[in-house]
Amino acid sequence: MSVVDSAVERAKNTPVVTKEDAPLLLVLPGLFIFLAFMLFPIMYLVYLSFTNAEPATLFQGKEQWVGFANYVKVLTDGQFWNSMWVTWLFVGTSVALKVLVGIGVGLVVTGARVRGKRFMRALIIIPLGLPGIFTITIWRGIFSSAEFGLANQFLRLGGFQSVAWLSERWMAFVAYNVTEAWLAYPFMVIITVSALQDVSEELHEAAMIDGAGFFARFLHVTLPSIKRPVLFASILTAAASFQQFLIPYVFNQGGPSRTNELLIVYGYREAFRFQKYGEGAAIMLVAVLVIGAFMMLNVWKGKLADGVDDA
Amino acid sequence: MSVLSDIAAEVKDDVRAVAQTPVEAIKDARYTLDGIREGRVSAASVAKTAGVTAGAVVVVALLLFPLYWVAVGAFSGTGASLYSSSGIRLWPSDPTIRPFLWVVGDIIVPSYRITFGLGGYELFVQTPKLALLDVSNYGVTETSNFKKFFVNSLTVAIPTVLLAMSLIVPGAYALSRRKFIGRSKILYGYVLFTQIGGGLGVALLIALYALFVQYGFNDNKLALSAYYAATAVPFNTWLLKTYMDGIPVSYEEAAMMDGAPSWKIVTEIILPLSKAGLATVFIFTFLTGWTEFVVAQTLLSTDNYTLPVGLYSLVGRYSIPWARFSAFALTFAAPIMLIYLFAQRYIEGGLSFGGMEG
Repeated sequence: MSVVDSAVERAKNTPVVTKEDAPLLLVLPGLFIFLAFMLFPIMYLVYLSFTNAEPATLFQGKEQWVGFANYVKVLTDGQFWNSMWVTWLFVGTSVALKVLVGIGVGLVVTGARVRGKRFMRALIIIPLGLPGIFTITIWRGIFSSAEFGLANQFLRLGGFQSVAWLSERWMAFVAYNVTEAWLAYPFMVIITVSALQDVSEELHEAAMIDGAGFFARFLHVTLPSIKRPVLFASILTAAASFQQFLIPYVFNQGGPSRTNELLIVYGYREAFRFQKYGEGAAIMLVAVLVIGAFMMLNVWKGKLADGVDDA
Repeated sequence: MSVLSDIAAEVKDDVRAVAQTPVEAIKDARYTLDGIREGRVSAASVAKTAGVTAGAVVVVALLLFPLYWVAVGAFSGTGASLYSSSGIRLWPSDPTIRPFLWVVGDIIVPSYRITFGLGGYELFVQTPKLALLDVSNYGVTETSNFKKFFVNSLTVAIPTVLLAMSLIVPGAYALSRRKFIGRSKILYGYVLFTQIGGGLGVALLIALYALFVQYGFNDNKLALSAYYAATAVPFNTWLLKTYMDGIPVSYEEAAMMDGAPSWKIVTEIILPLSKAGLATVFIFTFLTGWTEFVVAQTLLSTDNYTLPVGLYSLVGRYSIPWARFSAFALTFAAPIMLIYLFAQRYIEGGLSFGGMEG
C-alpha cells in the first residue's frame, strides 16, 4: 500500500464532525469555560516557569526568558527536596491513618450487634459537608500551643506534659496527620461501609463453623473482599494528601522555619511570600506532573470511568 | 413552586423519622425486656449488644467531639473559659449568646423618606425605623463584619450558580441522551478531573493570579464567579448526567409518538423529572463559591472578602478570640451543615459513582 493510500485510509477512519454531532454544541460552552480556567492557566504556568517573572517585572511585561534556570535552581535546592520528602512522608502516614480509621469506624457502624447504625452513619459523615476552612481553623484551635488547647487538655487528662504543637517540627507533623485523617474519614467510611455490605454472609458463616475467631475472619474473609474498593479509595485520598495546602497554611504556614512545607505550600510561598513567580511556577508544574501520574495510576488500577461507556 | 413544596415534604419526612426514633427505641427496649422475662432472649446476649452499642456510641461521640467543643466555645462568655485551667468543659460555664450577637450585629431597617410631587404640592411618607435587633441593648457595642462578608459571598455565589447552571444543564442533557463525537472522552476527562484534580486550583494559582492582574480582573467578584462556575462544571455535569440516566427513555418515546418536538420533551419531561438532581446541583454550585477560600483570599481585597476569607481573618497570628471565632464559624457553617444533612442521600449516590459499584 502506498503512502497516499494509507493516508487516504487514515483520513477515512478519522472521525469527523457531522450534522449528527449537533448535540456537541450543548456540551461545548461548559467545556470551553472549564478549559479556559484550567488548561489556559496550565499553559501560562509552563511559560512563567521559563521566565524570571516577579511582580516587579511581570506586570510591566518585562519578564525575561531564562530557559531551564528555574528548574535547575529548584532541583538543586535543599528546600525543595525537603518539601518533596515531607510531602511523600505525609502521603504515606496520612493514608495509612485514614485507611485504619476508615476501616475501624466502618466495622463499628456495620457491626451486627450495634443498634441504631443508620443514625450513626448519618451523624458520622457530617464533617464531609463542612467547609474546609471551617474545619481546619477549628483544628488549629484544638492544637493551640496555648497551655489549654483541647489536644493539650487531653494530654493532661492522660497525665502527660502539654506540647507546643505548632512550633515543634514533628508535633506539627502529627497535628497535620490527625487533621487530615479527620477531614477524610467520612469519605473512607462511606466507601468501606458500602464495601463491607457486599461481603458475603455465607463466607462468614462458613468460617464461623470452621471455628474462625473474629480476627481470623477479618483477615481471611472481610479484608480480601474489601481490598479493591479500599485500594481504590486510597489512591484517591493519597492524591488529596499530596495536594494538601490548607492544613499547613492555616496551622503554621508550613513551619516551624519551613520544615513542614508540603510541596504546594512551598510553591505558593515561593511565589507569593518571596515574590519568585518563575520558581514557584516550576515547583507547581512538578506537582502537576505528579498529580497527572496519580491520574494515570487511577486509570490503570481503578475502574474509575467504567460507567462512561455503557451509560 | 413545586420544587420547594417537594423539598418541604421531604424535610418533613426526615424530621418525623428523627422525632420517632426515641419512641421506636423505647418500643424495642420494652420488647427485648419482655423477651428476657419470658426466656426468649438470653440476658447475656442483650448485655453484649448493649455493650457493643455503647462502644459504638463512644466512637461516634469522640469523632464528633471537635464540633461539640466549638459549640460550647461559641456559647461561652468572652472566650476565656475555653482556655481556663479547669479541664475540658462539657457545658459552657457562663452560657450567653453574646458572641452570636457580636457576629450578627444590628438588624435595623433605617427610616426612609419617600417623596412624590402632586400638582405643585410635595407629599412625603416617612417610613418608621424598624429595629428588629439592636445589639447594644444586650451590651454588645462593637460588631463583626459578618453582614458585609455575607453580602460579598452572595454577590459571588449567585452569579456562580446562574452561570454554572446554564452550562451544566444543557451539557448533562446532551451527555445523557444524545450520541455525538467525543462524548465518552469528555465524560472521561470530567470524571478524572473530579476524582483527582480537586486541588489543582492552588497549583494553578500563580498563573491565575498573574492572568487576572494583567487583565485587570483581580478583586473582581464577577470574574471570581466565572472561575468558580468553571471549576464546578465537571463534577456537577457528571452528577446531573447520571441522574438523568435514571429517567426511563420510554417516557420520551411516548411523547415522540405523540409528535412532541424535542425541545418540548426536554421542558415537559426531562427537566421536571430531574428536579431532585437539579436541586442538588444547585446546592453544590452555590456552595462552590460560598466555601472556597484560597483563590478568594489571593484575588480579593479586604473590602471584598467573602465569608471564608473573613473567617480566616479572625485567626490572629498568635491567638484566636475563641468565643467570637466559634460563633462566627458556626453561623457560617451551620446552615451548610443542615442543607448537607438533607442532601446526604444524593451526595452518597454521587460519591459512589464509577468503579465503586462495579
